[in-house]
Amino acid sequence: MRVQIKMEDKEKSFIQKVAERSAQNIYACYQCGRCSAGCPFAFEMDILPNQIIRLVQLGQEEEVSGSKAVYLCASCFTCHSRCPKGIDIARIAEAIREITEPKGQDHFGPDDVPLKWAKDLPQQAYVAVFKKFSK
Amino acid sequence: MKVHYYPGCTLKEKAVNLEETTVKAMKILGVDLKEPEGWTCCGAEFPLSEEKISGLAAPARILRQVESEGGDKVTTTCAFCYNVLKRTNYALLNDPLKHKRINAFLKDDIKIDHETKDKSTGFDPYHGDVSVVHLLEFLRDEVGFSKIKAKIKRDLSGLKVAAYYGCRLLRPYSEVLMDKPDDPSIFEEFVESLGAQVVDFPFRQECCGSYISVSEPDVAAEASYRILRSAILGGADIMVLSCPLCYYNLDRRQGLIKDKFLEFSGFPVLYFTQLLAWALGEKISTLGFNDHYFNPRTVLEKVVKSEVAQ
Repeated sequence: MRVQIKMEDKEKSFIQKVAERSAQNIYACYQCGRCSAGCPFAFEMDILPNQIIRLVQLGQEEEVSGSKAVYLCASCFTCHSRCPKGIDIARIAEAIREITEPKGQDHFGPDDVPLKWAKDLPQQAYVAVFKKFSK
Repeated sequence: MKVHYYPGCTLKEKAVNLEETTVKAMKILGVDLKEPEGWTCCGAEFPLSEEKISGLAAPARILRQVESEGGDKVTTTCAFCYNVLKRTNYALLNDPLKHKRINAFLKDDIKIDHETKDKSTGFDPYHGDVSVVHLLEFLRDEVGFSKIKAKIKRDLSGLKVAAYYGCRLLRPYSEVLMDKPDDPSIFEEFVESLGAQVVDFPFRQECCGSYISVSEPDVAAEASYRILRSAILGGADIMVLSCPLCYYNLDRRQGLIKDKFLEFSGFPVLYFTQLLAWALGEKISTLGFNDHYFNPRTVLEKVVKSEVAQ
């Protein structure tokens, strides 16, 4: 993965916000990659979970906001259960979604539900997806 | 035997086959299920952000209601509800700030005495003391698997079952942990108590796709397919599970899975209570199999010869 990191881009407030909202020590990650290795949706992600953490550590807010990886997180906690430092990567993903989603916009809202599934979906799927991906 | 039972919103509508077979099976086992009065949706997802404490009000209210009805325990079959309720208790017990904020919500809920306009009378904070037990735990610890074994009316010895846990029954391990993380066995012990055989399959704890099946159906279909394929390769005849969303992803979405993965030709997936109710003698036509995309009936009748309860 080629990312140009400029120290002028380092958003200290971004790191702090993510750390506060997720109640996680972002700097504890030493990039072992176990989270990415176990993540069931890593195959579809543009930036892997451990890479997301690295970008947050370096304060690269723009890179992280542009990624679709956090919208592929199903909160299954495989990452957290595999992390040797006990970091809750799912919480970090949630914090990133909250911080980077433009105000008033749904990443995935009621209008985005394909009509063919609409009648069939279990209630908990609706509640969960809107809770996670819409304002 | 009486126990508080929290069905959750999905069981009353989309997962009626889980709800009805639970009630039927518990009746046979002599367990009276009592729903807490005025229960609401639990919120489906435990809020992961420190900013979203209000999402804990609904599950806390449900637990508080159970407590006020004299219950020290509430059982549930939906993995989402189990996860949310259990984690809510953990938050109340371990995080003083959350305890304070959640109880502030609960306090606002109680009826005002219109004479004195005094809201503060009679408010007891809820501390997180109601135990949340999954029905499998309840069956193991309160009813006893041996008692179930004694009441089995069909010979399931030829049936090979893949017991699928998914994620929300177990993780995060420090808070939920229905069973040992490295090698959970409660679901397998349950299957064996019915007289059926258990198959080992490495994808039993993997995520089926969960709510991603709404926003990214193709990605979730791949996640679900891997689990089904693993069960098939393990030699299973059927899969049992305990979550309406897993059921939706692993059964109701089989049409989409077939389109993407041409070698897949369908596989029976059922709720563990459907299998339990059937094993306890309920007629196969009453188990809600018509709701399934892949009706398990033919496979079950092929493997277990007699329809008539022995």
